[in-house]
Amino acid sequence: MGAHAVTAPTGRVPGPRPVPWRNLAWVTLRQQRGLFTGLGMFLGLFAAYLVVMAVIQGSAYAAVAACHPASVVRCQVLRQSFVSRYWGGDSSVLQSGGAQTVSSLMFGVPVLLGAFAGAPLLSRELDSGTFRFAWTQGAGRTRWALSTLLVPALAATAATGAFTALFYWYLRPFLALGQVSEMLPLTFALLGVAFAAWTLLAYALAAFLGTLLRRTVPAMVITLVVYIVLAMQTATVIRPHYAAPVTVPSASAAAASSGWVISMFAKSATGQELSQQSLFAAFQQQAPASVQNSGHPGAFQAWLTQHGYTQWTTLQPDSRFWEFQLIEGAWLTALSAALLGATIWLVRRRGA
Amino acid sequence: MNVIETTALGKRYRGKWALHDCMLAIPGNHLVALVGPNGAGKSTLLNLAVGLAQPTAGTVTVLGGAPAGSPDALDRIAFVAQDAPLYKNLPAGAMLGVARNLNRRWDQRRAEDRLAQLEIPLKQRVGTLSGGQKAQLALTIALARRPSLLVLDEPFSALDPVARDDFLASVTGAARDEGVSVVLSSHVLAELERVATYLVVLGHGEVKVAGPVSELIAAEGAGLEEITLRHLRAGRAGSPRSSASARTEGR
Repeated sequence: MGAHAVTAPTGRVPGPRPVPWRNLAWVTLRQQRGLFTGLGMFLGLFAAYLVVMAVIQGSAYAAVAACHPASVVRCQVLRQSFVSRYWGGDSSVLQSGGAQTVSSLMFGVPVLLGAFAGAPLLSRELDSGTFRFAWTQGAGRTRWALSTLLVPALAATAATGAFTALFYWYLRPFLALGQVSEMLPLTFALLGVAFAAWTLLAYALAAFLGTLLRRTVPAMVITLVVYIVLAMQTATVIRPHYAAPVTVPSASAAAASSGWVISMFAKSATGQELSQQSLFAAFQQQAPASVQNSGHPGAFQAWLTQHGYTQWTTLQPDSRFWEFQLIEGAWLTALSAALLGATIWLVRRRGA
Repeated sequence: MNVIETTALGKRYRGKWALHDCMLAIPGNHLVALVGPNGAGKSTLLNLAVGLAQPTAGTVTVLGGAPAGSPDALDRIAFVAQDAPLYKNLPAGAMLGVARNLNRRWDQRRAEDRLAQLEIPLKQRVGTLSGGQKAQLALTIALARRPSLLVLDEPFSALDPVARDDFLASVTGAARDEGVSVVLSSHVLAELERVATYLVVLGHGEVKVAGPVSELIAAEGAGLEEITLRHLRAGRAGSPRSSASARTEGR
């Protein structure tokens, strides 16, 4: 690898001035014009849909927000009809066509964007042999590869960042109404810096795999699989550990306020922890039939209080949103940078 | 100044030596024919010289001592790989733009004039050009870089006889008019016999013979084709099938 040092060897006249980054960026933009146009159109159409929907639901939401006091039945009904119409029913997520469906679809955007943009970048060069042209020009392969990788990465990050702002605006009524928490897995990865960071990760992964495998389609498929596994593991296993969750009494205002509920449990009078299931089992075993069969809705709670049971909720409150966003954004960006670095390393050591 | 100089240069691919113990000192201002059967190590040697591949053993320097693949070397060597790889989806004019922006030295006027001469429209996509036009476009780009050394790997393999003749005329013209040193590999010697001034014969990853054509002819009293065959056969003396296998053995 010594023969391919980028800087001129010591003791020799310094090498020629490197080709300016501006010129390299021009090459990348010109070469990837089709890619930029296609992905720009895809994001543009999606954005147009969000704008139209945001405007339509905005006027409906204005009526909900103007209804005072919010607790009266008239306002409750208004709120309920707004939510069911624009957020969507709970059961048929994909049929509802509301913001819930849009949010679900948004999950696919980072990986689609990343895989389509990243996988062909270098694999196509390696597959078609054009790397023999690109790597023997005066700019050298390292600068060429840096430009080829970083220009689309910056464009994708900027575009998805802007898209997040738009999505925020679109989702605002449902966040304001407490219909959905920013912390929930459904929305967390679509807001803040996470959406752009996940896109960058998918892109870096696809570019790395494309360079490693020298084939576009296998790189896309593996990117998709790895991405889905990582995204699911992050939402269910990794993210809850960014900070120790808060445990509050279930009846308290803190539990009632918006947040991401991790678990619910109960404590017996002796301080022993029970799951919700074992709590209910204890109730069924110990409570007299008169209480169990009571039609009164508060009977269960009253019996629990009477026998010293307390109920607790473990949650990540909404106030931690930006802290969590920055943690997730930081490790995703670090992982993406490592993958892009590994890609450059592959390019540098790759022979003809 | 030697345009390519190698000492004990070797390249191993998957345990097999594609090039072994190669000692060469090719002087400048020659049109060098690098000949040998398929799989003899011609492409390997050229890839090492232009910095696409790194040696397993030994060293290779270019243009008077610059390490192959160094910024200085990349700047002054123009390489056209086998089948002239260019971006098929780009118009010829944009292809020039790509090359212009990837190089410090670039003669846009000259590139456009040459394409006009060849009647290749700037708006025509590279993918729709004929094999001959594509090779000429690659050569145009290579020459617009104003290189000191032009390296061409199997430039004739995809060309019909007329396109071969035109292409060779372009190369010899550049070599004569601008003093560009040229190294050109081929598995057929016929076209090169008239124009080559330096011969390197490779066989089975080894240099069989190398030297200025005039000296070789004087020393051996034979034409280039005869000299080439003689040295390729000599390497496999004792085997009755040697000559046939030397020419046809795949990579």
